[in-house]
Amino acid sequence: MSSQTSLPPLTPAVFHILLALSNGERHGYGIMKQVESDSQGNVSMGPGTLYGSLKRMLDSGLVMESDKRVDPQMDDERRIYYQITGVGTKALAAELERYKRIVTLAQERKLFPKTYSV
Amino acid sequence: MTQNTIRALYKKLIACYPRSFKDQLGESMEQTFNDLYKEKQQTKQPWVGFVLWTFLETAMGIWREYLFVIFQGDIMLTMLKTLGSSTLISLLLIFPFMIMEIINRRSFDEDFPFVLFFGLWLNLFAVSLVLFPIVRALRARKQDMTNPVATQKNTPLTNPKSALIISVVLILSVILLSFLASLGWQPLEHLLNNPNPEGPSVFGIQVASQLIILILLSLPIAAGIIASRPIIRKLQTGGSLFAYPIHLIIVVVISLMIVTGVASLIVDQWPCFIGVPVCD
Repeated sequence: MSSQTSLPPLTPAVFHILLALSNGERHGYGIMKQVESDSQGNVSMGPGTLYGSLKRMLDSGLVMESDKRVDPQMDDERRIYYQITGVGTKALAAELERYKRIVTLAQERKLFPKTYSV
Repeated sequence: MTQNTIRALYKKLIACYPRSFKDQLGESMEQTFNDLYKEKQQTKQPWVGFVLWTFLETAMGIWREYLFVIFQGDIMLTMLKTLGSSTLISLLLIFPFMIMEIINRRSFDEDFPFVLFFGLWLNLFAVSLVLFPIVRALRARKQDMTNPVATQKNTPLTNPKSALIISVVLILSVILLSFLASLGWQPLEHLLNNPNPEGPSVFGIQVASQLIILILLSLPIAAGIIASRPIIRKLQTGGSLFAYPIHLIIVVVISLMIVTGVASLIVDQWPCFIGVPVCD
């Protein structure tokens, strides 16, 4: 087992937040919209879930506050942005590695009607 | 209900979060709600369901956050560890006497003295509740002198002055009640001696009397535990065991009194444990 996969599994909410932040920093509303988009509408979280997860992630160093600035696509209000850290990137990579192994296993057992290339 | 009213209500809801959460994330959370609400209005989607669901979801988040603070925080973990260790060690200490009682008195037609062993266990449990956290803090301090716990805000129980006052008040209450009992004060006599003959009883002792005795016994134990809190906090921040000498004296005196009580009981019951036929 690689050292990356020795990191503990992530909850679905944490996983999706890290995925949303993986291609750039976002504010809270931006994270929620990205999560919805990444999951094609299958995963939606309310502010309670989002910020509860963000608190755990900030405390464990997976994400950090980066900036407070105006979002040019929205109004003039300044918003707090969050970004993924090195630790968060490693945790996300470890989780994706776990998913990749499970998909490979499912393919070997012919559990999928189609074949997915990974 | 106007947009500003709904936003104000949500802001009040966020204020119910624990302080550390509120300080770190409250502003961002409020902003996110405003963005979501604006989106609903701009896309002309029904907002009533959204508002109700969001308020409910946030209320559940607040509940989860308090549960997390309670169950993941150091205080609860330490309390549970102390309760667990105290229960186990007290049981282990009285176990040999229970075995002696069973083996040496099996030929006599007697009931097992549950009340005696419960009393023994309770006293040992009480003294370990007072002393274990101090011992644990001392051991932790010895292992990690270079990395003391950062100083946190004092609570009434960890503030040396208020802890001392509370424990002295508790001790004085016990002394006063004992004094009144020795004078034969009627209300106390009545409470302790079968206040309600028709009431439920366990092992021949009225439940009401048992509860009153337990409450009276718990006062000095509570005094010992409260007096020990500033000492433990001092040890956790790398300080000396003797930083609060009066608190230490209270802890030592109460612990000695309880241990003396246990020892006296064991000495008194020793003939029974070794199988002397008429031992009471």
